[in-house]
Amino acid sequence: MPLSDQQRQHFDELVKKNKVVLFMKGNKHFPQCGFSAQVIGILKETGVPFETVNVLSDPAVRDGIKEYSSWPTIPQLYVDGEFLGGCDIVKEMYAAGDLQKKLGVVEQPVTAPKITLDDGAAKAIKAADEGNGEHLRLEIGAQFQYELYFGPKQAGDIEVVANGVTVLFDKASAKRADGIRVQWVETPDGGAFKIENPNEPARVKSLTATELKSWMDEGKPFELFDVRGEDERNVAKIERARMLDASGEKHLLGLDKKTPIVFQCHHGMRSKSAAERFLKEGFTNVYNLEGGIEAWSQKVDPKVARY
Amino acid sequence: MASPIEETMKAAILEKIPGATVQVAPGSGGGHFTVQVLSPVFEGKSMLESQRLVLGAIAHLMKGDGAPVHAIDSLKTKTS
Repeated sequence: MPLSDQQRQHFDELVKKNKVVLFMKGNKHFPQCGFSAQVIGILKETGVPFETVNVLSDPAVRDGIKEYSSWPTIPQLYVDGEFLGGCDIVKEMYAAGDLQKKLGVVEQPVTAPKITLDDGAAKAIKAADEGNGEHLRLEIGAQFQYELYFGPKQAGDIEVVANGVTVLFDKASAKRADGIRVQWVETPDGGAFKIENPNEPARVKSLTATELKSWMDEGKPFELFDVRGEDERNVAKIERARMLDASGEKHLLGLDKKTPIVFQCHHGMRSKSAAERFLKEGFTNVYNLEGGIEAWSQKVDPKVARY
Repeated sequence: MASPIEETMKAAILEKIPGATVQVAPGSGGGHFTVQVLSPVFEGKSMLESQRLVLGAIAHLMKGDGAPVHAIDSLKTKTS
């Protein structure tokens, strides 16, 4: 269906009025399609202000913009009235630095992140390498989701060699990767990569009863707080756990913010809320004992009563 | 054997770019595809121009709500 002059004029105005405008599915807060979300992510990385047009809210716009751009897919990015392309092209232009030039942003040079790979991780990666010239890529999303896979080298990639293994990062991931440690750990489901990243915002980490026991056996310095009341503690308690009453809380708040602090209750729910609360107080090494004292009794110390 | 829609896409691309080597494979879900096209016609063209050439050939299959082709997960154009 050809565009009417009126429609064409409407699009002309939209793309000229705004320096950067993205025709997308959903809006910048709730993209409703993965491709639109990727472009939003890139535009946010560049830091430029941008407008979005939700094509889902009007079928005439949805069909019209495809006609207007002679481009059959959404999203579509316009800068200074010029159609740049869809998701693939925007990604490529961003990686190569061309998008930043179009947007007029001066890109801070991204320095290669320092990363550590333990021997187990290096061995596992080498074993998975098919020798087809592809490298290990580590992608770190804006919410610190990790993707580890083999893929070809791309324009703008930052290459880091650690423990004999080459790891590729795209620019956005590289910024989030400085200081990471990649370890190979054995889990009940087999070996797995474990990534520790100091750039990640603090969150409550979960600790199993068995892990807590080994911390005790190793003599690792940490604090353990029981968030339950006196009545429940009279039924069952972990000897070392200090009650989080007024004096316990005073003691906690006086601790160094980096101290590992474990919270425990009956099943792990109340302690989780307590842990969240102290995370907000600025503590950075906050753990929740998964399954609470119930798990402790079942996995570690059967002498502790279950109730 | 490729499904009929993949064959239709391939034929449409070949009609626009005769002599090209075209691969169409299923993508991440129903109606999603990955496409790779190899042709000297892309020589000297930007990624936008190259993709527009291919997408233009299959645009009619991507139109409307009931379109057989919902999305192209990845489109690669190469000259050799």
